[in-house]
Amino acid sequence: MAKTLTGVQKKKRGIGWDGKTLKEMRKEITEISKETGHYAGLKTLPFKESDPIRFEKIYSKLRGGVVHARETAKKVAASPIVEQEGELCFSLYTPEADSIVTSTGIIIHVGTMGAAIKFMIENDYEDNPGIADKDIFCNNDNHVGNVHTCDVHTLVPIFWEGEVVGWAGGVTHVIDTGASAPGSMPMGPVQRYDDGYQVTCRKIGQNDVLSKDWLLESTRSVRAVKYWTLDEKTRIAGCHMIRDLVLDVIKEEGVDAYKQFMREIIEDGRRGFVNQVKTMLIPGKYRQASFVDVPFKDLDLPSFAKLNTIIHTPSEITVHKDAQFEIDFEGANRWGWHPFNATPVSITSGIWVMLSQTLVPNDRINDGAYYASKFGIPYGSWFNPDDIRSAHSNTWHALVAAWSPLWRGLSRSYYGRGYLEEVNAGNAHTSNWLMGGGYDQYGQLSAMNSFETSSCGVGASAVQDGISHSAALWNPEGDMGDMEIWEILEPLIFLGRQILPGSGGAGKYRGGNGWQSLRLGWGAEEWTMFVAGAGVMATDCGLMGGYPASAGYRFQANKTNIKERIEKGLPIPLGGDVDPDHPTYEENMDAEVVYRDRQAVSTQEQFGDYDVIMNYLRGGPGFGDPLERNPKQVEEDLNEKYILLRYAEQVYGCVFTEKNGVYTVDLQATEQKRKQIRKERLDRSQPTKEWMKGERKQILNENAAIQVKHMYAQSFALSEKFTNEFKSFWNIPEEWMIYEDDLGVPTLGSRINRFKQKKKQ
Amino acid sequence: MAKSQILAIDAGGTMTDTFIIDEKGDFVVGKAQTTPLDEHIGLLNSAKDALSQWNTKMEDEFPNLLAGVYSGTAMLNRLVSRVGRRVGLVVNKGMEDNHRMGRGLQSFLGYSYSDKIHINTHHFDPPLVPRKWTVGVTERVDLFGNVVIPLYEHEIEPAIQKLIDEDVEAIVISLLHSYKYPAHERKIRDIAEQIVAKANKDIKVFATVDYYPVRKESHRTNTTIVEAYAAEPSRKTLENIDTALREAGTNFDLRIMASHGGTISIKANELARTCVSGPIGGMVGAKYLAEQLGLKNVACSDIGGTSFDIGLITQGELAINASPDMARLVLSLPLVSMDTTGAGTGSFVRIDPNYGNITLGPDSAGSRVGVCNPKGGLDTVTVSDCHVVLGLINPDNFIGGVIKLSKEKAYEAVKTQIADPLGLTVEDAAYGVIELLESQLRNYLESMILGKGYSPSQYVCFSYGGGGPLHTAGYTKGLGFEDVLIPAWAAGFSAFGCGAADFEYRYDKTLDLNVDDRAEDSDILLAGRELQAAWDELKKKVTEEFKKNDYSPEEVDFRLLYRMQYQGQLNDLEIEAPISAFKSVNDWDSLIQTFEETYSRVYAKSALSPELGYSITGAIVRGVVEVAKPQIPQEPLFGETPPVDAFLGFRKIYWNGEHLQAKIYEMEKLLPGNRIDAFSILESTATTLVVPIGFEAYLDENRIFHLKEIKE
Repeated sequence: MAKTLTGVQKKKRGIGWDGKTLKEMRKEITEISKETGHYAGLKTLPFKESDPIRFEKIYSKLRGGVVHARETAKKVAASPIVEQEGELCFSLYTPEADSIVTSTGIIIHVGTMGAAIKFMIENDYEDNPGIADKDIFCNNDNHVGNVHTCDVHTLVPIFWEGEVVGWAGGVTHVIDTGASAPGSMPMGPVQRYDDGYQVTCRKIGQNDVLSKDWLLESTRSVRAVKYWTLDEKTRIAGCHMIRDLVLDVIKEEGVDAYKQFMREIIEDGRRGFVNQVKTMLIPGKYRQASFVDVPFKDLDLPSFAKLNTIIHTPSEITVHKDAQFEIDFEGANRWGWHPFNATPVSITSGIWVMLSQTLVPNDRINDGAYYASKFGIPYGSWFNPDDIRSAHSNTWHALVAAWSPLWRGLSRSYYGRGYLEEVNAGNAHTSNWLMGGGYDQYGQLSAMNSFETSSCGVGASAVQDGISHSAALWNPEGDMGDMEIWEILEPLIFLGRQILPGSGGAGKYRGGNGWQSLRLGWGAEEWTMFVAGAGVMATDCGLMGGYPASAGYRFQANKTNIKERIEKGLPIPLGGDVDPDHPTYEENMDAEVVYRDRQAVSTQEQFGDYDVIMNYLRGGPGFGDPLERNPKQVEEDLNEKYILLRYAEQVYGCVFTEKNGVYTVDLQATEQKRKQIRKERLDRSQPTKEWMKGERKQILNENAAIQVKHMYAQSFALSEKFTNEFKSFWNIPEEWMIYEDDLGVPTLGSRINRFKQKKKQ
Repeated sequence: MAKSQILAIDAGGTMTDTFIIDEKGDFVVGKAQTTPLDEHIGLLNSAKDALSQWNTKMEDEFPNLLAGVYSGTAMLNRLVSRVGRRVGLVVNKGMEDNHRMGRGLQSFLGYSYSDKIHINTHHFDPPLVPRKWTVGVTERVDLFGNVVIPLYEHEIEPAIQKLIDEDVEAIVISLLHSYKYPAHERKIRDIAEQIVAKANKDIKVFATVDYYPVRKESHRTNTTIVEAYAAEPSRKTLENIDTALREAGTNFDLRIMASHGGTISIKANELARTCVSGPIGGMVGAKYLAEQLGLKNVACSDIGGTSFDIGLITQGELAINASPDMARLVLSLPLVSMDTTGAGTGSFVRIDPNYGNITLGPDSAGSRVGVCNPKGGLDTVTVSDCHVVLGLINPDNFIGGVIKLSKEKAYEAVKTQIADPLGLTVEDAAYGVIELLESQLRNYLESMILGKGYSPSQYVCFSYGGGGPLHTAGYTKGLGFEDVLIPAWAAGFSAFGCGAADFEYRYDKTLDLNVDDRAEDSDILLAGRELQAAWDELKKKVTEEFKKNDYSPEEVDFRLLYRMQYQGQLNDLEIEAPISAFKSVNDWDSLIQTFEETYSRVYAKSALSPELGYSITGAIVRGVVEVAKPQIPQEPLFGETPPVDAFLGFRKIYWNGEHLQAKIYEMEKLLPGNRIDAFSILESTATTLVVPIGFEAYLDENRIFHLKEIKE
């Protein structure tokens, strides 16, 4: 029989194991894992069970090596975001892109880099452009599963005797990617084409050397070239250290042992995760929701993007009886013309970041946990856009809001099991992001994104206050860094850093406080600034009677008379905006333009010397009824300026006497006052059923803000299940409905719509 | 009879140890209760105890002493337990909260990996200076040293007065970028001193720039506060000790062990750097021993009960970490660079109930040893329990028999907690724990050496500390060290190190000298002049310090160093200058060449980035003067066969799947020239050296064991 062309092609030996292609390997591993419920079909772990010590030795060598690679490589970087904030991460993968071990850092990228490798496998990179030993690949394409454009991946295949035995991946958060506005998470992009320079899994080097065309093109496509270049060297150095490490392990242990090990460690990770779930949680359903504002109506954007709207993220955690862990986001609303969209990989990978801080805080986390869980991510929603035009550059705005409720879900379970110390009322909305760019104090084209936001307040637990100014959901090893280091990068002088009283949510245990820094434009040749925070809605929510953290706002003043005031030795704005209801900044300067409002996202505007801008880093939510807080703790908070007097009185029901600025709580009067407040609460209250009746009437009359109606209309248009549940909960007739088209809002890009699809049918 | 030469004092929280070394390198150790209120009393009692072992007295021996070095934990304790002075802090107005906010990372410093990511475990320690004793003064200077906001002088007096009214005992002044523009801090300092004098108060004023003129305000501020809060109160104590020793007949200038690995006078300007504990002494001792033995590159390893400490000596020099942390504070002291992992002989061993893997530490039993110690009250297995199960340590002769250990208890605990869950025999489980521990230590040691751009074959490994020699074979196996040395006095090595430390000052200064690749000669010369000016300034500082002990500049051996990086980077490398002074453009070329050689070794050649240009970020001057140091033992060589009286008999041990009869020797009775083959255990009061299968040990004329891997 004559040989067919496909027959000949098939004979070409793959670079995977035993001559298979990586695509064949990927398919096999997915299928057998799905069929058996065990990773790679491993119902037993023969290596681990027969030689647990050797197994553990290999694990600790790989794990230690990957961590060490990160620590060493990061010293190459120039960017404080990488070097000081630790915004980099390395991970080791199987040939099919399942993660084996991961360093510390922004471990959300375990998933996103895996997605990039899978993309290359899926698109037959093995044939074209080819995958060879010592190749270097780069990816930062949002629609391949990246979080946002500024997270740039370097991916290096690891070969052993002609066979791929794995991949090393490294990611850093670069300062600028050449988007329509400067900074790593710019405001301004509303479409993919504004998001900046996107590299889709491209081969950028061979024989461990980067190609010249790549070096030229990439450095001409971004603003802060120096940081871009050294970040890339950091990633490559780390990946090569990991490659050496793996080859060393194979030399010591043999390739067969290594292959068996990589399968078993992932299945081991899966089992461990299941056991953690069994230990910590109670089977059942946990429901919650989050909302975050998108105030774009007055921004300088295309007309279809000029819209005030809300991102809606309901979530339902199901802990199954067999400890399978499931999160379903049915009912989430539509993606939009803003840079806050996300991909399914980034939301699920981000959930692992969160779970590793609470449910599985150990170094064994790998893709095994992914195989033990299930996610429902509605197509067409803001984290699964059906349109490649979606923008993602500031996806964290929505992600941190969407995850905060998950803490509450888990915490209810912890509380039920008695793990009171593990309870956490939720993460802060990790903002503001203070960004800008232009020609800096050295005359070089540059950009900035202040990572002070890595030190927000933490949610309270059921036994103590959340800690203040110290952490971010995306990196628990938060650090605001030294001002003297930030000033190397940023042409802005610090005029203050101060804890913001009342920024942590009130409660029996209060949320950790946030803080503010104040910056003065100084020394840039030419510069623009903008902010990206959340100013209208409380994105977190207290737990069991605790209050949410306070919402954000913006403060900025341009064309001030600060220079003249300095010359005269007069007071100028300094420190935090301690009591925004009684502001002092404005008393100490005149300015042609002052923004003090809830417009906490803005697009870039020119920013000159002696202009000032405030950065507000948010607090965490509280736990329990504030009236149950120990009055002595309220007194301490007041004297230590963690709360303002009037809130200590109104919210905590405390009564004080004051002498020389020091407050003492009057315990007896406080008890009386708290009794009184409880009584007033009772007087104000009504039976739930009656309250629901009133609310139902409001719904039937469509008596809600346009933004709320729009948000629900989108959720209704995407999900029949959500619509039915909503209606049945509120007992609303079948014919009642809100349609996007009836609201007079721009609907460009709303292509999935079950109502229209029904009509078409 | 012995003739005492060196006195080394280690004053711990409860016990004060004194080590007195004679002209042959022999030493005695004395112990006495620490007397915190009058430390010299405990010290003299301890010295008496030591000398009584040589049947002699202080009045006879103290006049013979050539040198004395003190190291104590009083300062560190003061810091950790927050019982220092009432310090007031003056900062830029608007930044009064910055010190108490700490740095976010101070909320998880010193945590294990698991706790670092486990957010609910994070916590801040109380700030050294509370908010109410912090005041602000308006001023700002940018990173280039330009004045953006002049000092609002009218704000100084009320601010200082507020602190005086609060009854502070010291005042620290820290302004942003003061290392670049010191005038404002010094102005406030001078005015504050006047106000203090007028108020007739005894309040010492510290400007950060007079102490640590280096970038990173939280490091600089913390360190200067430590100076005022914990170090300055020690000055009086040290003077009392010095006086007491002189009255007891000594005739040397008492010196203190400092973080940079040298010793400094008790009159030194900066005392915060003496706030160091234990492990540094070992590194310094290793450096001295290496010099005596003519070794250039040494990897030092020290296992104690709670941790494994490793550090490198490269080309005869200790590496320095310029922004270390101690007591959960980021600091700007030069600290001998060491890596520490929380795995020691007292580390707890557990099986993770959900993942089924062995975990070692990070917590440990400390002095309670393990379940095997019936008086320890522990029920969790430790590494020491595994030693007991395997027979590696003698349960009846632990620390010279001070604690009697129970093999049965250890066996039972390892069985139920480790062996049964893993499906292994008790012996295999215990052996597995040791194997895992040693493999982790080995990886750790290897990655540290590789991470610095070297390979183990370029190094000799030193092993000391109480627990080290037991595991030396295990953690050096297969790494290919040039040699592995274990001094027979391993357990007292840290004190030996104190006695062997140089009399050395080291001062650092931050610079920002940016020079582009292929720059104009004029730019290079400008930068060179500034570098030289910084070296001159620091040299002067070092000279001033030595003057306090009557050393003239001619007696000081000056070493010049610089810190360099590519422009814009945040990590620099500290390099010894290949030039003795900056004179010409050629000198610049050699500075660059030396930097790039080091850089490509540490970070791989692909990371070289000359296109970015170069930055000199710091100047450093080290000054050393000659002082008396201990002798290394020198004994005649005997035959290869150990003397009969050194042999204590056989003990049954378990090793790698086999029950063996190990030969037990008394370490002190072995003679130079002896060769000890496997399987042998060499016991002394405070340490145990294991010579497992595949190894042999040789004792040389300096009483140092060489542990050699036998090639099969």
